[in-house]
Amino acid sequence: MPHDLDRYHRQMLLPGFGEQGQQKLADATAFVVGCGALGTVIANMLARAGVGHLIIADRDFIELTNLQRQVLFDETDVRDGIPKAEAAKRKLATINSQVRVDAIVDDINHKNIEQLIRAGDTDIPDILIDGVDNFETRFLVNDVAVKHAIPYIYGGAVGTVGMSYAILPHAIPGATNTPPWQTAGAATPCLRCIFEQAPPPGMNPTCDTAGVLGPVVSIIANYQVNEALKVLTGNYDAVCPTMLSIDTWQNTYKQFKVRRAYDVAECPCCKQRSFEHLDGKWSSATTTLCGRNAVQLSQQPADPANRRKLDFDEIANRLKAHGQVTANKFMLRADIKDNGTDYELTLFTDGRAIVKGTKEPNTAKNIYAKYIGA
Amino acid sequence: MSDSVTVLIPTALRPQVGDQEQISVPGDSVKQVLATLNTQFPDFGKRLFKGDDELNRFINVYVNDEDIRFMDNLDTPVKPGDELSIVPAIAGG
Repeated sequence: MPHDLDRYHRQMLLPGFGEQGQQKLADATAFVVGCGALGTVIANMLARAGVGHLIIADRDFIELTNLQRQVLFDETDVRDGIPKAEAAKRKLATINSQVRVDAIVDDINHKNIEQLIRAGDTDIPDILIDGVDNFETRFLVNDVAVKHAIPYIYGGAVGTVGMSYAILPHAIPGATNTPPWQTAGAATPCLRCIFEQAPPPGMNPTCDTAGVLGPVVSIIANYQVNEALKVLTGNYDAVCPTMLSIDTWQNTYKQFKVRRAYDVAECPCCKQRSFEHLDGKWSSATTTLCGRNAVQLSQQPADPANRRKLDFDEIANRLKAHGQVTANKFMLRADIKDNGTDYELTLFTDGRAIVKGTKEPNTAKNIYAKYIGA
Repeated sequence: MSDSVTVLIPTALRPQVGDQEQISVPGDSVKQVLATLNTQFPDFGKRLFKGDDELNRFINVYVNDEDIRFMDNLDTPVKPGDELSIVPAIAGG
């Protein structure tokens, strides 16, 4: 046994691993998209398991309210104002020095994602793992996964509920190689086969409005890692073909059958290979408003199939715990204190918003994702 | 009610149904069951449907863990004892 695999002895004892499986992990690159509650648990466990190269991307900084569930961070990181991806890289270096970690402190969007997944001179990563907090980015990652035939492990959690599902994309039409998971009969429908559209802004609670239970995020993230280890060691037939949905407070654990979605649905992404999110068709745009210390966020062009006005009553109800909220039939205005900084969020019925209190587009997007959701 | 379908309400939609986790509803099809709920809880219906006969595309409905889109959609038959799960996409993380 090569010396550098000694530390993984207990893992190599497992069926489906062995030295060969461990070496596959050592040779693998995993791209962790987002490094919050899900992402920190994912990165932590992948590094400990010996995945040789991690790329971690996140646009955000660490706040005190993150520490309840974001396991790689501590009070020093909050005090020093370290970006999440960088703090994760530093912490992981003390956990497993054999793992190479590339930190990307940037907003992931349709313009840069295909460059970012090749960070650190890699070709394309062996797997994409979801640690993000919004569906705009998730559908973007799903597009990349299907376009390049990269496995993608979806995970989401809010309140006491969570969901996870492993996407093993079908072969790229015309490609000479069939993905090994498809040869093994384990290819699965993509995320858009299952959820045709992202929930509109303000429709669903977010972790910042509804709260989030630390254990449920940790369970979902570890489940994602569980599926990722199967994929990276080549145990494709062991990958769960159903979608997990849990509520750890209400004690419900369900596995929804989704396999038929690929055969039956006319998915624009994996059937028609129309990568609308990667093409920027639904992406939000930000504009820094000159001289106003404010950023305007133009939400995705309203999809006619999904057009609806925001429910201001409900959003106001959720935001009132954070500060004063006023609304009329045209707009809602909320004072929000986030990580010690005061913001004024003005929201219009079509989802457009102005975040006052910053000139940074990424900060404005963060505030929107955290308090309105997308 | 033993002659009813059990509808599991997702956390996000519980405020619209008086904070109930599950509701027993009689009916022979998914459409009937959801129409009964819609009558009883109109705010709940507004979240679920984008038109009279069409569900919002970010919410899935499963009967005993099978997606109704791949059966007979809203016309999918249900029988007493069946479990109908309403599953919205979860965005947080």
